[in-house]
Amino acid sequence: MQHTKRLLLYTISIALLSACSSKYALVKSNREEYNINNSLAVDSTIIKTYLPYKAELDKEMNQVIGYTDVTLSKSSNLPESVLGNFFADAVLNQAKRIDPNIDFAIPTTNGGIRNDIAKGEITVSKVFELMPFENETVIFTLKGSDVLDVLKFIASSGGQPVAGVKMKIDNKLPKDIFIGDKAFDVNKNYVVLTSDYIASGGDGTTGFSKPIAKKVLGLKVRDALLQEIKQLNANGKRVNTTLDGRIAKN
Amino acid sequence: MEELLKINRRNFIRTGGIASAAVALSINSLDAFANGRLQKLTILHTNDVHSRIEPFPMDGSRNQGLGGSARRAALIKKIRAEQDNVLLLDAGDIFQGTPYFNKFGGELEIKLMSQMGYDATTLGNHDFDNGVEGFYKQLPHANFPVLIANYDLSNTQLSKSTQPFKIFKKAGLKIGVFGLGIELKGLVDPKNYGETQYLNPIVKANETASILKNGYKCDLVICLSHLGYRYRDNAVSDQVLAKNTRNIDLIIGGHTHSFMDVPEDVKNLDNKITTINQVGFAGINLGRIDYYFEAYKDKKMKFGTPYLINNKLDS
Repeated sequence: MQHTKRLLLYTISIALLSACSSKYALVKSNREEYNINNSLAVDSTIIKTYLPYKAELDKEMNQVIGYTDVTLSKSSNLPESVLGNFFADAVLNQAKRIDPNIDFAIPTTNGGIRNDIAKGEITVSKVFELMPFENETVIFTLKGSDVLDVLKFIASSGGQPVAGVKMKIDNKLPKDIFIGDKAFDVNKNYVVLTSDYIASGGDGTTGFSKPIAKKVLGLKVRDALLQEIKQLNANGKRVNTTLDGRIAKN
Repeated sequence: MEELLKINRRNFIRTGGIASAAVALSINSLDAFANGRLQKLTILHTNDVHSRIEPFPMDGSRNQGLGGSARRAALIKKIRAEQDNVLLLDAGDIFQGTPYFNKFGGELEIKLMSQMGYDATTLGNHDFDNGVEGFYKQLPHANFPVLIANYDLSNTQLSKSTQPFKIFKKAGLKIGVFGLGIELKGLVDPKNYGETQYLNPIVKANETASILKNGYKCDLVICLSHLGYRYRDNAVSDQVLAKNTRNIDLIIGGHTHSFMDVPEDVKNLDNKITTINQVGFAGINLGRIDYYFEAYKDKKMKFGTPYLINNKLDS
């Protein structure tokens, strides 16, 4: 209805406007791209606008909460990445403190990892840039067949960040699957940790639509990452994640 | 993808034929600008700035030291001082990516865009990250329109906050700008986009571009698209859009964070040029496309596409 009205309005306006039609022809186009780097001047009125915001933010964000001995990067070749492994291990570890029955975790997709963390100090800010979203951790009790759907998604998308599962990708399908240290059994139920975003089918994930049970842990994914880094630091440890072949390509 | 007439200036007169040669001569003549026969329009554009207020920190990561709103603003000011007719456009995903968004909800991003004099933007999927309400809440800080032709927002809080297109008038030229958004299902939490209805972008693009070009007689039609540059599967992308539409001269793209060496020129349904450009993300780059228009008396000249394309500015 609204569209019909709009269309009518357009038609009337067009009739009115066509009297003064264009007299220009496009004859040439030039293109340029400017890299925004330190060779450019700055507009101080813009800085003046953001400075009060920055001061408030910096107080909170510049705290160093830990260290990493390796650059945590998602740009390494899939099926696994150092950053994906760190992310999944950290969230699984923190979630298990709330519920130790979790079998494995897919707490994010590769697309959900938004920034690398360079070797060295880890600040609160870097964790926010890595995981800017306000997603909640959720645990799902799934039938083996639904777990297989989750694993098929992981395989068909070339690998996703996981912890507590080991598998090979063969012709876009999961193979030689281990959950913990036991071979996957399609007739068993499993407790899977993920985020509310993934569980609702985000980034094309499958398998979470028919859970036997579902529980929101009350732990944000980002808070799990922050906690893990703080805990390592409190124990005198640094992040030192490696690739370990948890997902391999045949 | 088929490349259309990407030739350097030296070769132009030789390959362009007589009509084009005449045009080329007048382009190089200052008189043509002076007497209003030639008009120049400068389009500046960004996409997926993702709350990158300050440059990336110097921490050894890939983009360290790049971007920054204060530098971008200074560059835009400098270009505006040099050029009479400038449009500054954005292709969405203003929000999300630094703690500025988590802490202040996008207020600062929108304030800075207003201060820089953005002329229009469209809706990216991340602009829904604090829900429809979260975007609505920041609109009082915006002095530019949000253009979206393929979301029906009438049952949401944004029902009166967006428009499908806007026509800008610069030195006698009419520039029609409209916006297209990506399908939100599967990409954005349903509770965040609520009652937003996604409409077929190709259908809405053809409808809107025709209204702008044929109805309002716009001299140039620009689409701000958050569909994404290209995909391995058949999902709707800027490439698919360009090939399957008429009347769009330029698609300013986003979503895929694509760094393009040069803009891509695609043959559209009318065998005319539809240019696609996207400049990465986070305000690392600012795109610029200058268009030159010549007043014509002989009606035949109007159909004189293709036009001359240079991947550099005139020195």
